Amino acid sequence: MKKAMLILMLVALLLPAGALAQDMPHAGVEVVATYMQSGTYDVGAENIEEAFEEATGIELELVASPWAVLNQNHITDLTTGTGEFDVMSGEFWIASVYDKMLPLDDLVARDSFGGDYIPTIWQPGPSGYFDGQRIGIPYSADAYGIVYRTDIFEEAGVSADWETWDDYFAALDKLAMHLDGTDIAPSVFSWGASEQTPAIFLGMYDGYLVDADGNYALDEESALAALNQMASLLDYNPDGAAGLSIDESNAVFLTGNAATMICWVSFMRASAQNPDASLVVDNWAVAPFPGPGFPFLSAWNLFISEYSENPEAAWEWVKYYINPEQSTQRFVELGVGSPYLSTYEDPELMEAYSHDFPGMVANLSRAQSVPWVFEAFEIFFRNTSELVIGSINAEEALANTLAGWADVTVPPALVQSAAAQGQQQDM
Amino acid sequence: MTWHSRHDLPWLLAFVLPAFVIVVAVQFYPLAYSAVLSVQEWSLTESQAPLGFVGLDNFREELGDSTFQRSVRNSIVITGGAVILEMFLGVFLAYLTMGSSWRMRAVRTLLILPMVIAPVAAGTLWRILLNSRAGLVNHLLSAIGVQGPEWLASPDWALVSVIMLDTWQWTPFVLLVAGAAIASIPTDLLEVAAIDGASRWRTFLHVELPLLMPLLLLTLVFRMLESLLSLDSIYSLTFGGPGFSTYTMTFYIYTQGLRNFNFGAAAASSWIFMAFASLSIWLAFRFQRRDW
Repeated sequence: MKKAMLILMLVALLLPAGALAQDMPHAGVEVVATYMQSGTYDVGAENIEEAFEEATGIELELVASPWAVLNQNHITDLTTGTGEFDVMSGEFWIASVYDKMLPLDDLVARDSFGGDYIPTIWQPGPSGYFDGQRIGIPYSADAYGIVYRTDIFEEAGVSADWETWDDYFAALDKLAMHLDGTDIAPSVFSWGASEQTPAIFLGMYDGYLVDADGNYALDEESALAALNQMASLLDYNPDGAAGLSIDESNAVFLTGNAATMICWVSFMRASAQNPDASLVVDNWAVAPFPGPGFPFLSAWNLFISEYSENPEAAWEWVKYYINPEQSTQRFVELGVGSPYLSTYEDPELMEAYSHDFPGMVANLSRAQSVPWVFEAFEIFFRNTSELVIGSINAEEALANTLAGWADVTVPPALVQSAAAQGQQQDM
Repeated sequence: MTWHSRHDLPWLLAFVLPAFVIVVAVQFYPLAYSAVLSVQEWSLTESQAPLGFVGLDNFREELGDSTFQRSVRNSIVITGGAVILEMFLGVFLAYLTMGSSWRMRAVRTLLILPMVIAPVAAGTLWRILLNSRAGLVNHLLSAIGVQGPEWLASPDWALVSVIMLDTWQWTPFVLLVAGAAIASIPTDLLEVAAIDGASRWRTFLHVELPLLMPLLLLTLVFRMLESLLSLDSIYSLTFGGPGFSTYTMTFYIYTQGLRNFNFGAAAASSWIFMAFASLSIWLAFRFQRRDW
């Protein structure tokens, strides 16, 4: 009798454990995930860390690092095969190690993962791909845009429906006349943050970024036209604009001293509607980013390292962190641009962000990522910065860039990304 | 005690060997490895291992690279400008704040404060101060009717800004050393000079300066090295810009090694930098040997 009781008790004890093992197949497994230390993506992860651990039994360790350190960590970890990180946050900047990422197609198909992504964001380029296989899942989306002062535009009788940069310049000319004698500049941009200048070039440039042989290249005629047009934009900016950082440029707009601003909308959205930080509350909107080029896209992906010892547990975190509900929540709480259409179609949010969403969705739908490794990017933005400050002319900026690029190899993943986004020269 | 007897040798080795191994491992191995890397082709983003021996190609490429040449020029201008200013200002302030009254002690303490701020924070602080539209510096200049320049947007003024930051932060170091050196000058020498009718200026020039010179030259060497190695303040103040205007040798090496992962090129430029720094220090020491 005593023995039977003992067995019964054991079974009673083991049953929930068995059930737990079924519900939590990865209980006790450790997953290390990286994020950029930005107060947004990393905070979004921290906010749901505890709930994730309770739901899955997985021990999650979050590692947040500044942008440059994050990329260094990833490249070093993957090239040395250290395998310290299971889930990695990244963009095309780490494309040189895309071949060390786990293909995710099977996991995506098995779990019917996807949701209502903005179509361009789910494509190669914004989504990490290598050799035709998906390796990255986008969890944020932000595109360069132009924000404008609705009150000033109304007073000046100018509409923000430009399609090309020539249209935008025409609007700036009208604004300049209307604002003559005031402290308000027609436009402002963070020219002093020299790594941002390529965003304007990319919007103005109508050509390829990689040649038919898979090398970094530019269509010289189009590039020269875009560089000259970019430099001429400075004339519409306030005094001292050539030294403005992103925060300083935002401050010019938020204090009412510019009629338009070219910017990452997510960097100013929350402040612009905060009466303590902004003089333009309810008096601004997002306009389409002009062509013939494209709005520069920032789409952070989560990747799983091929050195991960627990890829299934890592995938659990990817699914938990990236879905329409979490993305909408991160947008509302932290201002992180969502890659899901449902965020922008939510009736309540549509009403609250009526000044923001139409332009934002239009820009995201046209936005592209670039096929540049950091070395190529640095060569380009340093030379465009030299052009902006008048140290060299557009011809020299182009010649220096192309000469510098001659020694830089394009990783295969980025040649594929360029081809997928129509940025490669026709064969 | 005859410490070098055969009997003591094992004990001596036991005590010396750990320190020797640590020094070799920590100091000489990385140095030797970087020398090996400097003659290899290796970009970490292309290969997990060096791609082969390339002789002096990396050195040739770096020396011929216009960005590297510009970074050498910028390093010379920044270090030269900042260190000279620091030496003059430091000695001047040391004389100005001599004395042991509480007021002088308080002034010295206040003057030393910039030195204890982290360089990256100092760079950020000066970035705010030098903002051409809303910064305090241009605001103060406009109060006296001067229109301030675009400190961080103009190539020349950006260099001046870096020199100003370095000078602001490290003049206190010279002040400290010079102050201690001045205090240690025997007063009887000064009294003799006064009795001989020497003016204050001649006393400084012919009595005090020769006595201060060895220590000042040593300070100069320290400051030159520190200034050449400086990276964090430039990173946060100008990020090497605008364009390549404040790209220094250390910024160039950092970019090549830790952002572009071109280890071969970074190692070669590091060795060129070391030769450059060693030459500068050798010249300073040669100068020190002069009979003052």
